[in-house]
Amino acid sequence: MNNLVILPLLIPLLAGIFLVIFRQNILLQRWFSIVAIFSTGVVAAYLLQMVADDGIQTLAIGGWEAPFGIVLVIDMFSGLLILTTSIVSFGCILFAFNSIGLEREQFYFYPFMLFLITGVNGSFLTGDLFNLFVCFEVMLISSYVLISLGGTKVQLRESIKYVLINIMSSTMFLLGIAYLYAITGTLNMAHLSVRIAEVGQQGLLTTVAILFLVVFSLKAALFLYFWLPGSYAAPPTAIGAIFGALLTKVGIYALFRMFTLVFYHQPEITHLLLGVMAALTMLLGGIGAVSQWDIRKIIAYNVIIAVGFIVSGLAVFTSTAVAGGIYYLIHDMIVKALLFLLGGTIIGIAGTSKLKEMSGLIRNHPLLGWMFFITVLALAGIPPLSGFIGKVLVIKGTMEAEFYWLAVIGLLSSLMVLYSVMKIFVNGFWGETYLSKEQEKGTTSGLLFPCILLTMVSIGFGLGVEGITFYIDQAANGLMNPDIYIKAVLKSP
Amino acid sequence: MLLLYFTLLVPFLFALLVPLLYRYMPRIHTGWFVLVVPTGIFIYMINLIPIIAKGEKLVNSVPWIPTLGINYSTYVDGLTLLFGLLISGIGALVVLYSIYYMSKQREALHNFYVYLLIFMGAMLGIAFSDNIFILYMFWELTSIASFLLIAYWYQRKQSRYGAQKSLIITVIGGLALLAGLILLSIMTNTFSIREMIEADQMIVKHQLFLPSMLLILLGAFTKSAQFPFHIWLPDAMEAPTPISAYLHSATMVKAGIYLVARFTPVFSGTIEWFWLVTGTGMITLLWGSFSAVKQNDLKAMLAFSTISQLGLIMCLLGIGSASLYASTAILAALFHLINHSTFKGCLFMVVGIVDHETGTRDIRRLGGLMNIMPITFTLMIIGSFSMAGLPPFNGFLSKELFFTGVLEAARLNIFHLETWGILLPILAWIASIFTFIYSMILVLKTFTGKYKPNKYEKKVHEAPLGMLISPIFLASLVILFFFFPNIISNNLLQPAMKAILPGLLEGGGFENNIKIWHGWTTEVFMTLGVAVVGMLLYISFPKWSGIYEYLPEKISFNYIYDRGLVGMEKLAAKITKTYMTGIVRDYLLYIFIFFVVVVGGSMVLLNNFTFNPSGNGPVSAYEVVLILVIIGAAVLVMLTKSRLTAVIGVGVIGFVVAMFFVIFRAPDLALTQLVVETVTVALFLLCFYHLPELGRETGGVGLRAANLIVSLGVGVLVTLLALTAQSNPLVDPISTFFENSYQLAGARNIVNAILVDFRGFDTMLEILVLSIAGLGVYSLIKLPLARRDNK
Repeated sequence: MNNLVILPLLIPLLAGIFLVIFRQNILLQRWFSIVAIFSTGVVAAYLLQMVADDGIQTLAIGGWEAPFGIVLVIDMFSGLLILTTSIVSFGCILFAFNSIGLEREQFYFYPFMLFLITGVNGSFLTGDLFNLFVCFEVMLISSYVLISLGGTKVQLRESIKYVLINIMSSTMFLLGIAYLYAITGTLNMAHLSVRIAEVGQQGLLTTVAILFLVVFSLKAALFLYFWLPGSYAAPPTAIGAIFGALLTKVGIYALFRMFTLVFYHQPEITHLLLGVMAALTMLLGGIGAVSQWDIRKIIAYNVIIAVGFIVSGLAVFTSTAVAGGIYYLIHDMIVKALLFLLGGTIIGIAGTSKLKEMSGLIRNHPLLGWMFFITVLALAGIPPLSGFIGKVLVIKGTMEAEFYWLAVIGLLSSLMVLYSVMKIFVNGFWGETYLSKEQEKGTTSGLLFPCILLTMVSIGFGLGVEGITFYIDQAANGLMNPDIYIKAVLKSP
Repeated sequence: MLLLYFTLLVPFLFALLVPLLYRYMPRIHTGWFVLVVPTGIFIYMINLIPIIAKGEKLVNSVPWIPTLGINYSTYVDGLTLLFGLLISGIGALVVLYSIYYMSKQREALHNFYVYLLIFMGAMLGIAFSDNIFILYMFWELTSIASFLLIAYWYQRKQSRYGAQKSLIITVIGGLALLAGLILLSIMTNTFSIREMIEADQMIVKHQLFLPSMLLILLGAFTKSAQFPFHIWLPDAMEAPTPISAYLHSATMVKAGIYLVARFTPVFSGTIEWFWLVTGTGMITLLWGSFSAVKQNDLKAMLAFSTISQLGLIMCLLGIGSASLYASTAILAALFHLINHSTFKGCLFMVVGIVDHETGTRDIRRLGGLMNIMPITFTLMIIGSFSMAGLPPFNGFLSKELFFTGVLEAARLNIFHLETWGILLPILAWIASIFTFIYSMILVLKTFTGKYKPNKYEKKVHEAPLGMLISPIFLASLVILFFFFPNIISNNLLQPAMKAILPGLLEGGGFENNIKIWHGWTTEVFMTLGVAVVGMLLYISFPKWSGIYEYLPEKISFNYIYDRGLVGMEKLAAKITKTYMTGIVRDYLLYIFIFFVVVVGGSMVLLNNFTFNPSGNGPVSAYEVVLILVIIGAAVLVMLTKSRLTAVIGVGVIGFVVAMFFVIFRAPDLALTQLVVETVTVALFLLCFYHLPELGRETGGVGLRAANLIVSLGVGVLVTLLALTAQSNPLVDPISTFFENSYQLAGARNIVNAILVDFRGFDTMLEILVLSIAGLGVYSLIKLPLARRDNK
């Protein structure tokens, strides 16, 4: 029992509620939310070190022990994700200060962001399947509001699709929970794992597993990603960035958790299906990305490609590949947020998101240009930047397990990533400079600082990767050995 | 050891200083500061020569990610040192040249030198790394530096095109290389190239041996501009000329050569390696020299010439892989590697001078410069004649060795050489003729003929001395190496050969003495033949130049690349557009289809539908009636054309569900459901006031039938799954625990106890969901930015 475990959820929740009351005080809104996120990050780091030293930390809420009550669990995997979430949202909220606009700020922008983070952190923390559903709901309802906040035409058009598809998938999620409870009689994930291991994952449970696979794939944009490019391109940059960085990752987290802890008995069916879906996601996402000439769309399709790449680490299901998947997941959260923020800044300056209508920005914006360039290289997994180690481990893992087709598509996808994003650099930053500083539609003032921050994190993650290998190893080890998790949660020998 | 790492890192560290120097010391050309770096490195490398020549090997390692076995480990042997000297030596000369070539006033020198230094550091890294991942890192870094340097004048469309092309092709190769290296590491269980070489006997039979060889060769061939991947190199000529001389002739394009040489001990002795490397090299040699002749741009000519010379070296490495029988080839390859860097570097600088002084590189406009630019003319003669393989220049020696190599190969009777081997000397001879022709064009078209001043934009005069220093230096080396080849051979080539052919050393050593005159051998007659036939063909060039017209443009690889890229984007757009319709109905359809296929499919394949009603209560008559009402209402909702009817239908379903709660004795749930249902129906009706009439269903019968099938499929599947799950409780549920709710939580109502105590956390979060929804609706109504903007 460790009461601190609930803080990553509680801090943003209380801060959000507090800020709802002071709607008009923008300064308070800004600084209170940034402090809240910062302290969430500090707590997350502290908890992470505790997990490293003393093992998994749990909290049975209300004192009702697992499997009867709801348990919050922080293991290395979820701890790392919570910490990364804090870093990323810190950057995005900082970016929002100078870009989101006074109107949205007055209409609860910061509380909604904080509630979103509450839901995200809750999803990472919970050890109970139904509570995971509830945390998903908190996250989703906040995202519905954020995507439509401001009510511009394109926002409303895209939010209808987004809301419909997500409600549909939530319904499926609920169905899956009902079936699973009917069969196993429990909802606690560790307990589910124990019971399924006892009775064996026979045919019916595999079917239910596939139902969950469909549900989480919808959330993660794994193969079922049709809703993503439109809806992530619609809202303002700071919101798009946090969506791109966090929301699909929660789906990926759920896939990792469920298919390593609970449904790991028939990988020849479930994980193979994951592998096929991952391959198709990378391929189709890549095809989508290279075909676009609109910055927002290119970036959105890049979110999809990465989902495929991360999940292929899970699909292969060896400790090398899973570790690679975790490295890449963390890298992708940071660098995708960065990519959205940089893309948004470019669009702000040029006044358009169409690549064919912009040119030569590097003359007046060298810092922005070079940050973008570094981000491109990090995305493509060029060493020593942050994407490299994850890429190598996933590819090595897939090859060792003789999933050669998956390795080939994985490598191909990084080519498509490079091509599609370098297109932005070549067309947007190079070429004749049309716009003088005065003619530009927006400014970069205050926007570059959060980008610099995230760029530093990305570079540091790449160069100093040795410093976190210990943590990632432990996370992968935890995923590959469900017993560690089960023992910590159920406390029974 | 520390000094070695410092040397390898200096270019990167200095690159950080360059922008500062450029800004705060604007009066001194930044190049002067930069010059210190390659010069210093060169001096350091010179000092290593005796150590390495003695046979010592320097092995060091600096940890980067030790946990995963990725460290910056270096290994210095003859081959490494040879490249190190080349990179730093030519680098110093190029920087010196660039000081006069790149204008201090007009050019963004800080960018130029930063890229150049990054490249230099990366290239040194390739040669010195022993860890495959570090090698890969520097490999990609050279591609990136080259990308930036080609697009140095990024305003020009052609520069951007060339940069992108080179990046795409070399990155494809880089990824292939990475895959090949990972496969090798899986086979040998190490990340160290040295240890891989030691393990080579174990892996020949491995099933991954051939794939890894092919992938690594793909990496080498793309980087070294081998046919058919050579197409990026001519477009890379958009870079400033010092860069073309340095990256795209002397160093970066030789990275592929280095890779092949480095991995020769691992892969040699197999027929695939022999023919792939030899064959590709030979085709490249032929095609490059043949294409060079038709160019009108001096730089383009040099580009194709570089392609062809790289092919020559590659071909020799291939032949040399049959090392037990043909060790001359490796000697020739290494010697030509050095010679090519000297004479081609010199030629590039000369062409740069011509361009700089006349404003054009087009041979149709040039001519008659002999008297105006005598020094440049002399330099051009030295470079070109060396390239053509004439004495007294170093190119003659390596060309002779090349002929010896191919003749030796033709006499072998392994790898099917007894039948196909004779092709090698014939093709080599033909290629050398074309090399001779374009070498003559370079000299004669530019400098002889009549001087026509009106063809030039400015007054032409000899280049300033500073610009001439570097090419003069290189030209002197061209001559020096001819007279004293064995200084190079003993100190540099021999240790490098040991690195490429470690097995040969144990077998008793090899001949590395280079003689200027062997007597009247076949090679000499071949050279004479080249000169005579070449001269005749040069004179008659206008008569046969028409054959270049016959080459249809549509089968050229450039055409394929350009159309391929455009076509690929078009195809990608088409594919994406067909399914990304933007219509949410389509998206839902995909999702449902996928759901039915995978979930239903697994249900059928795993054969797990069971239905066992034994544990269920009896179904009474009014339950059946209620179910029928629900079904009827659902059908009504789908078929009706009026919104009002649809809402009433939905409401009926909700109220009947509430009735079920009553029947199953859950009055509190029933009440809740009734309230919710009443409120939603009321809200729906309220909204109708603002909504348009229900439109007619679009889409034909086929679409509607498909929709029907899919929706029926989903419904049936969900129902069957529910029945099966209900019939298969594998374990007792944990719910018995909650039956004690009064003792545990002091509540007699279990549902309430669960909601507010056992799982009160869920409830709290659901309340949060409702509050967010409320705030969201409020914001949606109160903050319509679009409407305000329109006003």
